[in-house]
Amino acid sequence: MAPAGLGQSVGWLSRAIPLLLALSAGRAPALPEVCKYCPGPAHDTSEVDHYCKQRQELKLRARCCLTKQGTIVGLDLQNCSLKELDTFLAEAHSAIVLDLQANPFLNISTSVFRNFTELQTLVLPLKIDCPGGFYAWDNITCGKDSCICHKQRNQCNNTVEPALCPENAYCVPDGPGLFQCLCTSGFHGYKCLREGSFPLLMFSGILGTITFCISILLWGTQLRKIKAS
Amino acid sequence: MAGPGTFQGGTWISRFTHHHVVVFLLTFFSYSLLHASRKTFSNVKVSISSQWTPTFLNKTAVKLEPVELWDSSHLFPNAEEATLFLGTLDTIFLFSYAVGLFISGIIGDRFNMRWVLSFGMCSSAVVEFCFGTLTEWLHFYNKWFYCSLWILNGLLQSTGWPCVVAVMGNWFGKAGRGVIFGLWSACASVGNILGACLASSVLQYGYEYAFLLTASVQFAGGIVIFFGLLISPEEIGLPGVEEEESSEDDPCRPLINNTDSEDHEPNYSIQEVSTIHQPKAISFYQACCLPGVMLYSLAYACLKLVNYSFFFWLPFYLSNNFRWKEAEADKLSIWYDVGGIVGGTLQGFISDMLQKRAPVLAGSLLLAIGSLVGYSRSPNNKTVNALLMTVTGFFIGGPSNMISAAISADLGHQELVQGSSEALATVTGIVDGTGSIGAAMGQFLVSLIQDNLGWMWVFYFFILMVSSLSHFSKESDLERSQGLGYGKEPVTVENQH
Repeated sequence: MAPAGLGQSVGWLSRAIPLLLALSAGRAPALPEVCKYCPGPAHDTSEVDHYCKQRQELKLRARCCLTKQGTIVGLDLQNCSLKELDTFLAEAHSAIVLDLQANPFLNISTSVFRNFTELQTLVLPLKIDCPGGFYAWDNITCGKDSCICHKQRNQCNNTVEPALCPENAYCVPDGPGLFQCLCTSGFHGYKCLREGSFPLLMFSGILGTITFCISILLWGTQLRKIKAS
Repeated sequence: MAGPGTFQGGTWISRFTHHHVVVFLLTFFSYSLLHASRKTFSNVKVSISSQWTPTFLNKTAVKLEPVELWDSSHLFPNAEEATLFLGTLDTIFLFSYAVGLFISGIIGDRFNMRWVLSFGMCSSAVVEFCFGTLTEWLHFYNKWFYCSLWILNGLLQSTGWPCVVAVMGNWFGKAGRGVIFGLWSACASVGNILGACLASSVLQYGYEYAFLLTASVQFAGGIVIFFGLLISPEEIGLPGVEEEESSEDDPCRPLINNTDSEDHEPNYSIQEVSTIHQPKAISFYQACCLPGVMLYSLAYACLKLVNYSFFFWLPFYLSNNFRWKEAEADKLSIWYDVGGIVGGTLQGFISDMLQKRAPVLAGSLLLAIGSLVGYSRSPNNKTVNALLMTVTGFFIGGPSNMISAAISADLGHQELVQGSSEALATVTGIVDGTGSIGAAMGQFLVSLIQDNLGWMWVFYFFILMVSSLSHFSKESDLERSQGLGYGKEPVTVENQH
């Protein structure tokens, strides 16, 4: 389990570092690394290009479609010779449109699209199944050399495989076919077992006072009477 | 042989000052707090084991996210193994407690018992705090660390019992000891209830706060003991129990006394001068050789085995055998405690009236066999079962309380140790220590027998234990009639004067 935990923290880091960089850069947000992963601009015919040009407030830079704030909403990585998908993609977790066609990777591990909660259009090479499986998407259309996974479903109210969270936790969608369980309000700690916080200060105050009073009282009535012998 | 005034309640009750009341309450609650923290541990077991294990789902393929929240704790792979470890901690605790009792008794007799008791309570509170609260705050989970802390806790907790019994023995004389000690020995049961209440009131904040609460209350108790407990009436110039008794006893006693223990006679004028103010503690070996000590220790081992098995296994047996809900079984098992409290007090009272404890013990144990047979055939009916349980508690818990408190005090105050009144804690330690070894082995044996042969054989095993026990107490009767046993004590306590 340790590697999984490690992977998680690495993933978190890879998300946090660009954010920090973006914050430090101030007004002109730096172009995210993932946009420069592949040389050249986005393809004219790609879904990303299409999506970005439809909307005034978005602009294309390198392979990405960005908002004014620098958030990635589209990423076109087609024909990038990607042999496998790994954590570099996590930077693009806010993407709505993602194009991965014409790449030689053979499978997608379930965790690659974790946290891709906005993803609505995913273009994949023909042989690759949509992440999360058939039921994670509203519809899947396949063309000559690519498949498009349309509109991810909310896994928390999925009727086929309902996501069940333990006691004191609720379900939050976490990407295609994925969900998270977070503590309901008031609960916290490991497995959401703890509720509220212990009034430490009040408790120590009361206990201290009582102990002090009883000790003084007993010392006065009992121990002081000890006869030195 | 009872002096005419001995049982007219007023005689001994009127001698009680507010110091007696304070000593009774302080010792009662200090042991209650020690027991409460043990109970806390058993009440938070479910929370602890879920803290130590990853989340278990029926669909093994699905791992809950985020991992830190659901799957980051891997001390044990599943709840069963965590439960097994918690059971092991119980056994470890009982054994180190037993060993500790032998040592603590010796220490208690050699140092000021107020310091020993206060130190024991405070340090064991610190250990419990480290065990339950600190490890959780630091997220440091380690099996060996837990084991060593619990061994240490057993050793430190063991300072409690010998000291409180010895202090009680110093303050409350032989007359009325049975009933007072019977009432007083309810402290363990009260501690259980207290611990359950304290733990359940803060368990929602996390199990670490249950430990924090009981540990700090216990620590506070230790401080109060340090500032308030008078370990003997002599400390404030009141007459000791032996002095009191000698002053009120009828004149014929010294005569019997002389014929009984002639070999001690030459010493006692010297003792009077030198040992009252500076009593010398007897050695562990000497204490073992005191008449009745080994016998009662072995008897208590058998009895505590059965008694603790009831404490530990009763809820499990009820939910296992009758398929009753665990919470209900927990509640129902309180009746055994109730029976024990009433039994201890009532039998103590009767033994005071007779001025003999062995016959009461033997009679009660004989009836205990009957009640065990009866209980093992209890129908699947909660009222009948609770009734039978109370009766069983009355006949098993009662004698158990009596041996651990009143008889221990008798044994520690007997004629042969008159020169050194500081034998009390050592003797109590030996009796309770042997008992705890029996109890620890019992936990192991019961699970073994239950697994292999079924519950009925567990009861047969209990019956065997209790029968061998009645045999012990008959033997001690024999000793008494030969003028060696503790039974002579009412006659000989006045040796010193």
